Amino acid sequence: MRGNFLKDKDVCIVAYAETKLERRSGRTAYELSAEVAEALYKKIKMGPSDIDGVSTTIPMSEAANPFWANYCTDYLGLQPRWLQTTDLGGVSHTGNVARAAMALQNGWCDTVMLLAADAPTTAWSANYHAYHDEFLDPTGLQGPPGAFGFIMDRYAAQHDLDYRGLGALAVAQRNGAVANKNACEQLREKITVDDYLNSRVISSPLRLLDCVMPCDGASGLVMMKTSRARRLGFTKRVYPFAYSEITNFNVASQQPDITQTGHTVVGPEVLKMAKMKPGDVDMFHPYDDFLIAVAMKLEQIGFCKTGQGTQFLRDTNIGPKGTLPINTGGGQISAGQPALAGGQLNLVEAVRQLMGDAGRRQVKNARNALVTGIGVIPYGRNWGSSSALVLQN
Amino acid sequence: MTRNATPRPVPVPTPMTQPFWDGAKKRKLMLQYDPSTRTYQFWPRACSVQTGKRNLEWKETSGKGAVYASTITYVPAAGFEGKGPYVLGLIDLDEGVRIIGNVINVEPEDVAIGMRVKVAWEKLSEDINYFAFEPDKARRK
Repeated sequence: MRGNFLKDKDVCIVAYAETKLERRSGRTAYELSAEVAEALYKKIKMGPSDIDGVSTTIPMSEAANPFWANYCTDYLGLQPRWLQTTDLGGVSHTGNVARAAMALQNGWCDTVMLLAADAPTTAWSANYHAYHDEFLDPTGLQGPPGAFGFIMDRYAAQHDLDYRGLGALAVAQRNGAVANKNACEQLREKITVDDYLNSRVISSPLRLLDCVMPCDGASGLVMMKTSRARRLGFTKRVYPFAYSEITNFNVASQQPDITQTGHTVVGPEVLKMAKMKPGDVDMFHPYDDFLIAVAMKLEQIGFCKTGQGTQFLRDTNIGPKGTLPINTGGGQISAGQPALAGGQLNLVEAVRQLMGDAGRRQVKNARNALVTGIGVIPYGRNWGSSSALVLQN
Repeated sequence: MTRNATPRPVPVPTPMTQPFWDGAKKRKLMLQYDPSTRTYQFWPRACSVQTGKRNLEWKETSGKGAVYASTITYVPAAGFEGKGPYVLGLIDLDEGVRIIGNVINVEPEDVAIGMRVKVAWEKLSEDINYFAFEPDKARRK
């Protein structure tokens, strides 16, 4: 097993901020970043000249600009000595926590702002090329819902897929969105398991309420060395305690089992690094592009047996007062997915909870959280990048 | 989101992918073959995913396989507007590779995992035949 460079808790998260999520905001990722940065300055009582490290994720709305991070930091008046752009999709955000930790530990910078902003419902400039132009787009496969249609179809053939378990997750996350004032207003309405079951099929057997809804939005975090955070009087500190990441799981196999993912590697590994068992996890904040992904990760990390993810969701209290609270702010499925900034939603909610700021959805006495990331859907496979991050307070 | 109707995308071959499309024009499914590991691979690229060597050969394949997974699309992708629900298959070819294609000449609801299929061709332009799959009535490979 790899060494755990986070075990000493020598770096920490001291602040978080996020914008409201909105459909067709008419704003750019730069404007959204500025809103988040201002909120962070206010929280940490600092300004642009204090930020000497920045990490970003490439926004769909700015993907055609190969100098996104340069332009963004220029826009914000920042002069970073460490600047990182991560293009691992939904793995980028937990990934940037780990990368920022390494930059801080190695003295590249003292104060890192971790930005994630995207406005896909206002502008879209991504173009995947590679195999898409010749070997995928002409087939009419409908993007991620098409790919997850395959994954669910195969999962249902290999295992006992209980749609009521996915419905229970849809309902629990929607309750979280109702309690989350930053969630998309269109989604802040309670639903029932029957609403899920009766939602229209998009790409069989995938239903509308299995899916995320795209929106515009941004979020940010501030990290620094723990010694500095103490000196500066930051009393609310959340520590990244273990991190594991893998990209292109099973890459050379030409006929892989698409019900398996890199979380079979990083899930058990990150818990071992943290010296935890699944039962020790106080809250689970999994990246949720589709409901089935959450069920699969529960299995692959070890919360339940392979093939029992949907039964686990059906039989477990996953609300904020439950035995395993999941995506208490609604996750992306019920709050909205600001495209490539989306993964930071799950992460920010975990940090908010561990700082005790979650209000009426607060998980009592939560000491740790497990956050995951999913990035990229490769040709004919399950997700391409997998990450798992343990946070403690 | 409503989209303006766009035509179904037509591939533009590159020098690297040209052999695939030359084969398709003759209704032959050509795949890249790695002679050192005796394995096929898809989608086309410049190197073996097994060894990293650029020693791949193009070989004609049987075009036969079985459905590994399928999905019926009710919300059409760009270029497929107005086409009723259509079914796509993740097809395990007998040569040991997996390929995504439309399954045609069948009711979408009748496509199931394990179903035997063979390659079929749709003419997208003067130069491009596009691969799809249809039920293979012959029992075995």
